[in-house]
Amino acid sequence: MTKLPSYNPPGHLTDLDGAGLKAWDTFISDSVDRAAQGPDPSEVLNDSPRSQYYNLTRTDTDADATEATVTWTAFPRTIKLTSLGDLQRWKRADASRDVQDEYCEWSVTRGTDGKITKVTFTCEGPEYWSLLAQTDPAAVLALYRQFVDPGVQHGDLFAVDGTYNPRNRWNDSTSHGAMHLVQRNNTLGAEIELAAAATIVRVIDGEELTTEQQLVQCSMYGQAERNSDPHIGGSVNAIARQKADIALADPVGLYFNDLSTDGWAAPDGSDPKDYWTYVRGDADHPVRAVYEVPQERGFTVGDITINGKPIQFGAQITDFITIRLTAVACRFGRSTTEPKTACVQFIQPTPAAASGLAAEAVPTLRLTAPPSSVSRR
Amino acid sequence: MEFHEHRRATAWMRTAPGVTAARAEAPQLGGEEVPDDGCGAGPTSLEPGRLHRRVSGVDPQAVAVTDAELAALGDPMAVLFFRRGVFPMTVQELLAGLPQPPGGLPNAVYLIGEAGQVPLNASPSPFRDFRFAITRTALQGNDVDLLISTGAGDDPATTFLQVAAWDPDAGVFNYYSRIDPSWVWSGDSWAALAEGSRGRGCFDSHINGSVVMKELALPWSNWQSQAATINLPADSPVRADPLFAQVVGAENLELTVRALVGRWTAARLAAVTRTGTVERPDHLLRQLFTTTSVNLASSAVQSAAVTPAGRDFPLPVGFWLNGDALINDLALPVTASVPLAPADLYLAALTTFGFRLQERASGFTRPGDTFFAFVVPEAAFEDNDVIRRMVEGGLLPAKFAACALMVDFGNPVFSADRARLMAYVPTGPTPAAGLAEEVARAITEAAGTLPAGSPEARFAADWALPDADWPQAFADRIDTYLGHVSARIGTRAGFEDYVRLAESRRRDFRAMRLNEFDLTLPATDIPADAPRLAMLEDATVAPAP
Repeated sequence: MTKLPSYNPPGHLTDLDGAGLKAWDTFISDSVDRAAQGPDPSEVLNDSPRSQYYNLTRTDTDADATEATVTWTAFPRTIKLTSLGDLQRWKRADASRDVQDEYCEWSVTRGTDGKITKVTFTCEGPEYWSLLAQTDPAAVLALYRQFVDPGVQHGDLFAVDGTYNPRNRWNDSTSHGAMHLVQRNNTLGAEIELAAAATIVRVIDGEELTTEQQLVQCSMYGQAERNSDPHIGGSVNAIARQKADIALADPVGLYFNDLSTDGWAAPDGSDPKDYWTYVRGDADHPVRAVYEVPQERGFTVGDITINGKPIQFGAQITDFITIRLTAVACRFGRSTTEPKTACVQFIQPTPAAASGLAAEAVPTLRLTAPPSSVSRR
Repeated sequence: MEFHEHRRATAWMRTAPGVTAARAEAPQLGGEEVPDDGCGAGPTSLEPGRLHRRVSGVDPQAVAVTDAELAALGDPMAVLFFRRGVFPMTVQELLAGLPQPPGGLPNAVYLIGEAGQVPLNASPSPFRDFRFAITRTALQGNDVDLLISTGAGDDPATTFLQVAAWDPDAGVFNYYSRIDPSWVWSGDSWAALAEGSRGRGCFDSHINGSVVMKELALPWSNWQSQAATINLPADSPVRADPLFAQVVGAENLELTVRALVGRWTAARLAAVTRTGTVERPDHLLRQLFTTTSVNLASSAVQSAAVTPAGRDFPLPVGFWLNGDALINDLALPVTASVPLAPADLYLAALTTFGFRLQERASGFTRPGDTFFAFVVPEAAFEDNDVIRRMVEGGLLPAKFAACALMVDFGNPVFSADRARLMAYVPTGPTPAAGLAEEVARAITEAAGTLPAGSPEARFAADWALPDADWPQAFADRIDTYLGHVSARIGTRAGFEDYVRLAESRRRDFRAMRLNEFDLTLPATDIPADAPRLAMLEDATVAPAP
């Protein structure tokens, strides 16, 4: 039986100083506590408390603990379902960061001939960058210069009063860089809240809810049209139904799981997987990836084919990328929490009320305001 | 229920009489009823420690392979096991016998079961019939070259164990079955195309010689995936199976299967065009003009989660047209939106037509649609892959492929009109250069003596379009058609027409050997002898010609 001393930064990144690390631990820990507590029952019914969700730094993880990894495809499902064909969906997904909502965003670099030379992918939540910007703005600037463009200026990222702008000109498009997630639902706060809400087991009209879509509908967590949210919720709930306690594994974050290159071919016969590189995060928790062919190879990303078709869009690659999070579960069979027998209900069921409530569910960073909100449909 | 090892992942051993009747009535699905002689050894027993061969339709019974035959097999099973006199009798022994590279290349394990979403307390309970599919790289780089299929949660020594293994030198898949006390080679990809063995034994599902994943695309119905988790009781023997802990989502298998199908298609086309003469053009072009196989598509919406006030939802594009070929591969500049089904009309139709899940062998029945709403057969990826690669390789002009597919394009599968054009395809050696033009010429000549509405005349009219104009002209027709669909699907009469059309196509699918399980499709009150239906270009539905 052990407690975690403190929550580590995503990917065990090393950018934060001592004060930053402490602030990060506090942010995650408070977020988990608030998520476990759930919304105020006077405002939302049947959604609190989330007694099977726990804080790794406050509650022991028992010896029967197992890890469960949840993976999903990085290409946005919403775009896929509403497009008539691959060409249309790839174009749409490459057109705006606002539709890249599977906790993976990307930016495409093209040569003068229009061929893709590099695609950069990130799954870093915005909260970490907001904190870093407050504790060490110079580090933020240096990282942008290292990973996005050497020409990035302080004024490109920060307002006159020193406030960091996450959607700055180097992190707001699909062609001029992607430093961290900015799509409104791609936040760590959303991940934490979603995982907590999904621990509630529901038995409606005598039937235990087990499917992804019914659970999203009834528990009203996340976005039903995404690959990620229903799958995360369904996976967490499946563990909860085994009467276990659940936490998000440390370091809490979203990580690249893999790039599959089935059906890919490089013009020189080399292994297309060789050009996929993780450039931030530790080996087990990569948060930034680049797909780029070294210049000496004499060809570019656009010359590589997938099932015979050349790569013309960054989105083609995301069909083959999986993102993951990891949960920890323990005390199997020992939870005494009773299932809820009704679905989530808002006392003032207006969209505005629901949205505001959800935003309040996320604790503020100690040094800054939260960059985004938890989505509650 | 455990699977019989002589069958692959199939429920035919307990098929009810109705299915046989449906097959007997099958329209244009390969004609004669092929005896179900399985993937097994036939009427003989096997000798332990020897690989045997039995290609259904060719070999009356299994015989031990000769040393020369064994030496000619270059896939992982032959190289790593059989040539060394090793005959793994369980999937665990098989996996343990594969190279374990440093760092470990993990198996990718997938789980499927048509009853995987049926509530655990259903009574009578349906047969659960869970199976594992396992992909593995054994011989070559990072490319998967081994695909294993076996029962999940069953006795590994007696459940079926079958393997498709890629031979990189021969450019074929070899198909093997473990038949206690040994293994049987059931043929290679070419055998799927050969007259004697086509449609027989293992090639009743590996119809064109490649690996198969029927529910290939999102939401991967029946598979455990990111879209749905198979519901298993805590004490399920599947959970106790060591492979269960390795199960990953079927979204990954889709990528692998597409690549494996493409690998065979590329090898096949290279082989049949190598001399500049195509010996059997009909073997290729039947994949353009006819429905040699299908995939099963569905909406991404869980049927039970649809509510009357819920959002409209898209039905699979493949129900409306062969979008993969026409839009993705031939790049027609279509701009229409995906037609949306009104939730209330969908729910009303479930009642009107008596939708239910029904398994005759177990007596299980439950009102409603399949787990994901609106499962229908769509044009097979393995057919489309051949078409695309024939175009990219220059064997067919894109215009020719487009003209063929635009004949009766509202019926992407089981089109009698399109199938009729096969009559103009040579069945003997034909120069690759000019093959398409020869077929087009024959169709055009015939069109001169046929009514304007005939498939030949429609093809000829499209073929006469200027080269610069046909892509936009075809796209305009599709846009107009989908506009009509979007209007009609919002009406009760229109939606019910599409439900009847879907059921008509499902009935055609049921007549195929690909149809293995009752629970793959919903049952309805639409009579089994209702007229076959077809979509017209104005998006109305009429009796099929």
